[in-house]
Amino acid sequence: MEQSAPMSGNLKIETKGFSAFYGKTQALRNVNFSVPEKKITAMIGPSGCGKSTFLRSLNRMNDFIPGFRMEGSALLDGEEIYGAAVNPVLLRQRVGMVFQKPNPFQMSIFENVAYGLRIQGVKSSSLVSDIVEKSLRAAALWDEVKDRLKGSAFALSGGQQQRLCIARALAVEPEVILLDEPASALDPISTARIEELMQDLKDRYTIAIVTHNMQQAARVSDYTAFFLDGTLVEVGETTKIFTNPDDSRTEDYITGRFG
Amino acid sequence: MAEARLPEKGLSYYRQIRNIVLGSITGLAFLVAVTPLLAIIYVAYDRGKEALSLSFVTTMPSGFPVGIEGGILNGIAGSLILIVLASLLSVPVGVWAGLYLWDQSHTRLAGVTRLLSDLLLGVPSVIWGVVGFYVFSTNTGWGLHWGFSGLAAGLTLGFIMIPIVTRVTEQALRDVPRSYIEGALALGATRFQVMRDLAIPAAITGIGTGILLGVLNVLGQTAPLVFTNYYNTGIPHSLVGSNGSVGDLAMQIFIYIHEPSKALHVKAMAAALVLTVIVLLLDMGIRLLSWGSRKYARKG
Ligand SMILES: Nc1ncnc2c1ncn2[C@@H]1O[C@H](COP(=O)(O)OP(=O)(O)OP(=O)(O)O)[C@@H](O)[C@H]1O
Ligand SMILES: [Mg+2]
Repeated sequence: MEQSAPMSGNLKIETKGFSAFYGKTQALRNVNFSVPEKKITAMIGPSGCGKSTFLRSLNRMNDFIPGFRMEGSALLDGEEIYGAAVNPVLLRQRVGMVFQKPNPFQMSIFENVAYGLRIQGVKSSSLVSDIVEKSLRAAALWDEVKDRLKGSAFALSGGQQQRLCIARALAVEPEVILLDEPASALDPISTARIEELMQDLKDRYTIAIVTHNMQQAARVSDYTAFFLDGTLVEVGETTKIFTNPDDSRTEDYITGRFG
Repeated sequence: MAEARLPEKGLSYYRQIRNIVLGSITGLAFLVAVTPLLAIIYVAYDRGKEALSLSFVTTMPSGFPVGIEGGILNGIAGSLILIVLASLLSVPVGVWAGLYLWDQSHTRLAGVTRLLSDLLLGVPSVIWGVVGFYVFSTNTGWGLHWGFSGLAAGLTLGFIMIPIVTRVTEQALRDVPRSYIEGALALGATRFQVMRDLAIPAAITGIGTGILLGVLNVLGQTAPLVFTNYYNTGIPHSLVGSNGSVGDLAMQIFIYIHEPSKALHVKAMAAALVLTVIVLLLDMGIRLLSWGSRKYARKG
């Protein structure tokens, strides 16, 4: 059985013996994993190894997939994510998510960021404006859009759209941000901006990112986890995983021998 | 200048021929699509032009046989009443059912509902007509005993419209990208909020088109009207009971054409032209609406 390496600091999220199924296919096997608070944890592994499944299990986005089922335990601040008393809607306000393809809403730039507040019933328009500005600044997008907040979000470039989606996630003040290959559809400059942004955000947020880009994982993350075929092979400090991994399969993967 | 040409002749010959063939197929398809429409307009205009005038659409029919003089205001007004009645029933029910099927798409109850709705879509309108007759119109046996009336016909037409609206609403919602829906769910939106704020606005054009399809279908129906309303040359006193039936353009055309009167045949074709123009205007109206609502629409 794999054992997660001891990590410093508080553990924001912890899974124990976590397995996931889509109907009869098992996508995750017995994963024991920890996401430390206010750090960046990267998840790498070949396509289909279960990275997205794992990430989406942490904010219960998989609940919407017919036939999805989980076993084991996943804890957020020590509380069972799949507990009977947990309201998944409130959970998702605490655990935000940014997707691979930028998916802004068919609304103005301003309303995109404000949407999360509107659904929480925030009425004060000055409060909403303040938070929208703060979130756009935090996502390093404010200067580029401040003169066209009423304009369509679709008029933005792909990289800007992705930063808008990050701003949108930040506006509801989550504790954790899950990013599923957030830069894979972007050009190198936009990618660099997103990476910078993550460094800025990690003082305040716990971040978990799935990436196919090994350099990216090495550059941005404090911890790296390697998944293979639904299992967590190894997890540890990023420098260790990339320079001196314990498992030969990890080494094979990061040196590009497979995957 | 440097010569960097593609291989000569052979390929370009082939390309030329291919372009001609593809071009002709496209042209042919265009002709096939446009000819019937032009034919309808031409035939209706040519055969009905003597009756056309502004007063034709603004006056009630008169003379003997009724309609020899005057216009078709009874038919226009009646068709409008029937559309409104049918929509009052079918839009809320059909849109609600479409939303339900989309939201609960994987449940067994939704599967059964979808199957039944699609079966209803295939029921011939004459059957809706006779069932509507026994449920709403007949004065013998059980039933609502509304007589031949606008309400009986409007509701019968409404039932014909429900599965159309349901089907198109569900399809329009399914066309909304999943990633878009997930974006809102991940922010902590409830299913209801996602539906209200994202899914419906994104699908609204499709839903509008569905309602329009239903309305156009209703505009062209005669069989159900024969059994539930028939036709009225005058102004109905109410929408139920005796003298509760309304005029209707399709029925008017149908009845005029069956009269042994050249003048009424001309009026029938003029009415056909009016009906066609109404249909085209409705169609264009919804296109304009959808165009207007594209302010924040996705590119491409
Ligand atoms: N909605 C679904 N229904 C059924 N099977 C699924 C579904 N989503 C994922 N799977 C399966 O679960 C396994 C893990 O998929 P997942 O998307 O988590 O992998 P991934 O590591 O994110 O891959 P990638 O790098 O390509 O994004 C795969 O075998 C996949 O086919
Ligand atoms: Mg994935």
